[in-house]
Amino acid sequence: MQPLEIVFYLSTPVALGAPWLFFDSLLAHIVLKEQLGEKYYSLPTKIPLGGVPEIPLKRWRDLYVASVAIFEPSDTSMHVFSFFKRGDHPFPSGKISRGSGFFKDFYLKAVYIPALKVRFYATGEIDEVRRLVGKVAALGKERNIGFGFVKKVEVKEVEHEWGLVKDGTAMRPIPVQYLKSYEDAAYMPYKPPYWSKKSIALCAPPFTRVELL
Amino acid sequence: MTDEEWLRRWIDYFLTWYDEGRVEEKANEAKEFAAKFLDEGIVSVSGGKDSMALLHIATSAKPDITVFHWDHGAALMPREIEEEILENIKSVAPKAKLIVKKYSLGDSERAREDWRPWYREFFAALRSLGYRYHILGIRADESCRRASRGRIVARKHWVEVHPIYFFTWRDVWAYIFKHRIPVPKTYFIYAKLLGWDKARLVTFFDKEFEKYGSPTIDSILMWRYRHLTK
Repeated sequence: MQPLEIVFYLSTPVALGAPWLFFDSLLAHIVLKEQLGEKYYSLPTKIPLGGVPEIPLKRWRDLYVASVAIFEPSDTSMHVFSFFKRGDHPFPSGKISRGSGFFKDFYLKAVYIPALKVRFYATGEIDEVRRLVGKVAALGKERNIGFGFVKKVEVKEVEHEWGLVKDGTAMRPIPVQYLKSYEDAAYMPYKPPYWSKKSIALCAPPFTRVELL
Repeated sequence: MTDEEWLRRWIDYFLTWYDEGRVEEKANEAKEFAAKFLDEGIVSVSGGKDSMALLHIATSAKPDITVFHWDHGAALMPREIEEEILENIKSVAPKAKLIVKKYSLGDSERAREDWRPWYREFFAALRSLGYRYHILGIRADESCRRASRGRIVARKHWVEVHPIYFFTWRDVWAYIFKHRIPVPKTYFIYAKLLGWDKARLVTFFDKEFEKYGSPTIDSILMWRYRHLTK
């Protein structure tokens, strides 16, 4: 496995559901889609199906050596896009409730970053990583309405392993029990699936000063 | 521009508006209006900008008022912010009698998912206080629904009174900055992203506000409080 730098070039702004995008969860998502095919779209709610699939990344303890996204230019600020989500279904005759239930209307907000590039660092099998990221059409949330479209992606080997720590800074959530010192800590998920409560631990957040044990 | 510079420029703007918008006249009128109800009333303070402005106005009319504050619990209101709110209330109304009641389910995940028990318990708590007038920081400017509500509203068990009903969001911020009234710092984080008119202090990660997209914003700006811990 080699230390890698993965750069996505975006043609549209990327919308976020959390302050970070995780490279390991992105690969897990692609691998799971490959494995399940069409069944991927009819999974039973939020129950992990026999755990997270194997992904071609190096493990360190119980986390992957894979960074969160670095958005570029670095001074790109966040913005809010507001939109309505209304039922596309043909409405039945008679009175329906649009305040609740199946036909409920939503006035949603998407936080987006008009980044030009998204950079990740990871350690993994370059050919397999390259094959998988080639299948990523868009990054982040609200991809179905045009956010986060990927123009091209580059994967290249780099000299240093920066998937965990770079220049004394955490590049992903790292549980504090794996750290000698840290400047900040918060309860957050640190491994895929990131939505699962089982993945939550007291961690040093990304981009804070840390020292590994 | 740094966050401090950004805030300073906005404060300058609101202080200008304080004079231009005749906010002092509005505040004096609100004070006279509120004074009529304070002896038999209780001032409800969430800790948000509107209720803090109201609290300042009410205490300038009667320092030893009774204040009611509802603690939503850790699931809906992070403890750091709750502590900040209580400190703010005490600093603005040091002579007030402060009544704090806490939501019994407020520390559980259920509080974020199901808001019906909240309503039942909250209104039962209000009723148990036994005051004739409930003085609130509701403004007509906030929504069409509130604009149609009126300044005095007779409810089944009490009468709702809204002294700052005719304040706009700009008036409230102008009053806050003019009188250096403390408000939770999260306001400034939300104002920077959403704008001063849309920055509100409501419960965080609350499914009740999902239809307005609020939990999405909370997940970005308040990520630190996303996951509940004991």
